[in-house]
This record gives sequence, C-alpha cells and structure tokens, in this order.
Amino acid sequence: MTECKRHCTQSFDWERKSDYTVGMAAIETPEVLPDIKKETGTDPRDQLDAGYLVICWNDPVNLMVYVTHVFQTVFGWSRTKATKHMREVHEQGKSVLIRESMEKAEFYVHELQKYTLHATMERDAK
Amino acid sequence: MKVLRVQNSATDSGKSSTADGKSWAEFELAKEEHILLWHLLQQYPLVPPRHQRLSRNGADQEDNQQLLEEALRERRTANRRKVELMLKEAGRFLAIPDTENLRVTFTFGELDWLLQICNDLRVGSWLALGAPDLDVRPELKGKPDTARYYFNMEVSGFFEMQFIRALHGGVAAGAEDGGDDLE
Repeated sequence: MTECKRHCTQSFDWERKSDYTVGMAAIETPEVLPDIKKETGTDPRDQLDAGYLVICWNDPVNLMVYVTHVFQTVFGWSRTKATKHMREVHEQGKSVLIRESMEKAEFYVHELQKYTLHATMERDAK
Repeated sequence: MKVLRVQNSATDSGKSSTADGKSWAEFELAKEEHILLWHLLQQYPLVPPRHQRLSRNGADQEDNQQLLEEALRERRTANRRKVELMLKEAGRFLAIPDTENLRVTFTFGELDWLLQICNDLRVGSWLALGAPDLDVRPELKGKPDTARYYFNMEVSGFFEMQFIRALHGGVAAGAEDGGDDLE
C-alpha cells in the first residue's frame, strides 16, 4: 500500500483565505456536471461480508505431508487440524478450509496457490 | 540426503519460524543429489499461469483472475531470479572433507520457498504428462519427454520430503497419518 505523503504532510494556513476565495465569484466558468456512470464493480458490502468459502480440491499429485504442511503454514493450524482437512481433501475430493470476506478469501487462495495447491474461493450459497 | 542439524527458534519464542531467519537446517547430500537438485531447480517454473483459477464458477471475477495471474507471474519471476542466484552462490554447498558429500544450510524461510519451487516442478511435470493417474507407471522407453517429466516428479517429491522433515524437526508432518502417500 502506498502512503500518500502529499496529503498527509500538507498543512493549510486557514487564515490565508484570500488564496482560495478572492476573485472566485468573478470568474465565470461553464457548469460541468459529472458523468454518471453505472457502478459495475463489486458492491463494497460484498468485500466485507464473510460469505466466501476457501476450498481446497483434490489433486492426486500433491503429497499428503506437503498439503498438511501448507495448511499449517498458511493458516497457522495445529497439525491435527491441518491433517483433518488434508484427509477431507483426499477422501471427499475437497475441503472447505475457511469462510471469509472476499478480500481475505482472495488472500488465502493466493497464498495456497503459491504452494501450487488447487484452491478456489466460492460464494457461500447459504 | 539427510538432515544433520536443525535449529528452530520457534521452540523458544513460539513465533513463526519461517520468517525470523534464525531457524535453519543443515543437510548432507551426496554429489549426485546435488547434481539432481541443480538440474531440477533450473527447470523452474513449469506450471502454466492459466492453470490456477480464483474460482470455479466466478465468471464475474475476470478482473480478479487477471490480478491473480499477474501476481503469480511476478512471484515466479522473482523466484526464478532467486533460484539463479542460489545456483551461482559460491560457498552455499561446501565439501565435507574425506568424503564426496556436500553440506548445505538453508534457513526455514528458504526451505519454505524451496518447497514452493519443488512443488511447482512436481505439479508442472504432472500436468505436462497429461495429469495421469499416478498409480500406473507410464511407459518411459523411447519417450524422453515422458521420462524427463516423470523423473522430475519423483525427484521433486524426494526433495520435498527432506525439506518438510527438516521444517518439522526431523519428522515429516503427518508421517503417521499417511507417510509419503499422495493426496
């Protein structure tokens, strides 16, 4: 995240109103209305809503000990919990690892994919 | 290849041991294993960027998917540079007197990173083979590409096991729950 030094360090001298007000009324400028664009992006509420599931899918090539290790590393889980989820992946084809907001779910998917695990995030239907 | 010594600072502090740079593991490896590792790492990366999907049904997340691929691409470029530096680094692998073996020390952070590299090579090789069922050994005779990728898979799996063993204090995680079985 880039720090905005310009805004954070700028100080205004509020006594010197003249800089901002003098002559403004005298200038005629055409009224420009902002374009109204329809918001097509994701609703910010979606990003905060813990309605995303991080799922790990079975990939027969990954070693069981490797998957367990990655779960421990990424989520900070105990070996018992990590092994339980690894077993689910192995035996049921997938395991829901965590339910999170969109932003955090993306983060975890990215972390798991760094280790080449087959992980995705899905909107929780509930 | 064997783990000679492990220093894990997490046992005292309880903090993550891969990030602090104070935890390390020392390995002894045969000359041939060193050559294998060198040849293996040179092939990184093998997994195509489009292989990783953010979502299985997220058609509306194409922008996010592109961001993910971009981030993965950047990470791989950085990893590739690190691999090249490591392979060129003088004094990383030290000869053990009176033997043909070598000694090498990796921090836990490096081991975690090497695991990511090795698994990329393992998964990438498997994909290059057409994602086959691993219970059946493919026909290798007269098929150099198949042999190369199959060999990569086996060798990267071997190194992964050694690195995990070291990261978990000499005992592979979940060894009692499935050994080196596949997922």
